[in-house]
Amino acid sequence: MIEFMGAAVIAPDSGVPILDATTLTLEEDRISIIGANGSGKSTLARLINGLVLPVEGKVLVDGLDTVKHGAQVRRKVGYLFTDPSAQLIMPTAIEDVTLSLRRIIDDRKERNAAAMAALEEIGLGDKADVSVNALSGGQRQLLALAGVLAVTPSIIVADEPTTLLDLRWRAHVGALLRALPVQLIEVTHDLDAASRADRTLLVDRGAVVYDGDPREAIAMYRDLMFGRARDTTE
Amino acid sequence: MISLLGIYRPRNTPLHKSSVGFKLMLMLTATVFVIVVDDPVTACGIAAACLLLLLSTAPPAKATLRGLALIAIMAGVTVIFQVWREEYAKAIDTAADIIAISALALAVTSSTPMEEVLDAISKLARPVRRLLPPETIGLMFAMTLRAIPEAARLLIEARTAARARGLDHSPRAILIPAATRSVGFALQLGQALHARGIAEEAPPERRPSPPPKAVSNPEGSSRRSRRRDNLDS
Repeated sequence: MIEFMGAAVIAPDSGVPILDATTLTLEEDRISIIGANGSGKSTLARLINGLVLPVEGKVLVDGLDTVKHGAQVRRKVGYLFTDPSAQLIMPTAIEDVTLSLRRIIDDRKERNAAAMAALEEIGLGDKADVSVNALSGGQRQLLALAGVLAVTPSIIVADEPTTLLDLRWRAHVGALLRALPVQLIEVTHDLDAASRADRTLLVDRGAVVYDGDPREAIAMYRDLMFGRARDTTE
Repeated sequence: MISLLGIYRPRNTPLHKSSVGFKLMLMLTATVFVIVVDDPVTACGIAAACLLLLLSTAPPAKATLRGLALIAIMAGVTVIFQVWREEYAKAIDTAADIIAISALALAVTSSTPMEEVLDAISKLARPVRRLLPPETIGLMFAMTLRAIPEAARLLIEARTAARARGLDHSPRAILIPAATRSVGFALQLGQALHARGIAEEAPPERRPSPPPKAVSNPEGSSRRSRRRDNLDS
């Protein structure tokens, strides 16, 4: 369970508010976060695994404060970035997954076997010794996901995980994410994907302006965006 | 293609079978030796030996030849400089040294899994564990290697973008975007490490609090006029 208790974020240098005080409890298995670029949705997502820390209030994950227990929180919450290239650190696929496992498995052979199993589970078993730079964008996102799943998190936060992918990989990665037996919080511009969630948060100008049924959230988002587009044109 | 250079591939060669400690010691000894010895004939001999050693690891031909061509260009530039200064023996010695060290580094990286390198460096770094966690030092090494192909990619992209704008002869139009994007990549990599909880031993510290007056809009008003920093990707 994720609890936002008046969590607010402010840009450290300029003092500009990025996310207003937010109070929410997230319990559903599938939650989507939608909103315009720069609205604060990624900040909201990053608060969940402590990538961004609240300046006011707090965020609890299964009762653990992201400020006081950051390391434990990150063991529970896996994070998937938009650009997988930035998430992959080691030169080959298997080495990257084993890097994730270093903190939980001491024995190298055991670690390699677990990494191989994670790669096979995601369909990248034949790419184990391939350079991460030689993989396609979709394969890189799958590898990033394998690195996250290898440490068995109970929550996955995915920040626009399919934005950089072509249609085929978008469908494949999207389906894989939806099938995961974990709580999934997905920041997305893909309104079809957002509509499949149990609950949708609409973020606008640093605040959650709608929280509830995905269809209603999407309709409200469309109204907001088209209204602004009309204002700009006029 | 440069991204495939020096990457580990499982093989059954003598260097693959050697221990990582031996290989790192070999690198250290050879590097010190080529720097200390100023004889061009000896330098050429060591360079030839290092190239043979690289060849013995059965690296991918195309990527290795391309990489070696780049190293040869770099060595060529130093040769031109030394010849201009009429230091002919030093020109040969320096060029041979560059080729030797690069070839040896490629031989070691292409025959050693990064996991083993990480373990070895972490072990070597134990005496300074009070200053920096050994695991972090190992990770820094891995990230340096990871950054090389990424920096090359960013440079190529910056050059293509400059060419598209008709600025292909402007070093500023190539180097400034490449440098700023490299910083951006480093920041993203840091965030990814943080998000994956890698080399994390202590909880993060809370950011210093800015003035409280800035957060005073619990209802999420749309009247705000100050431009918000875009944290969304």
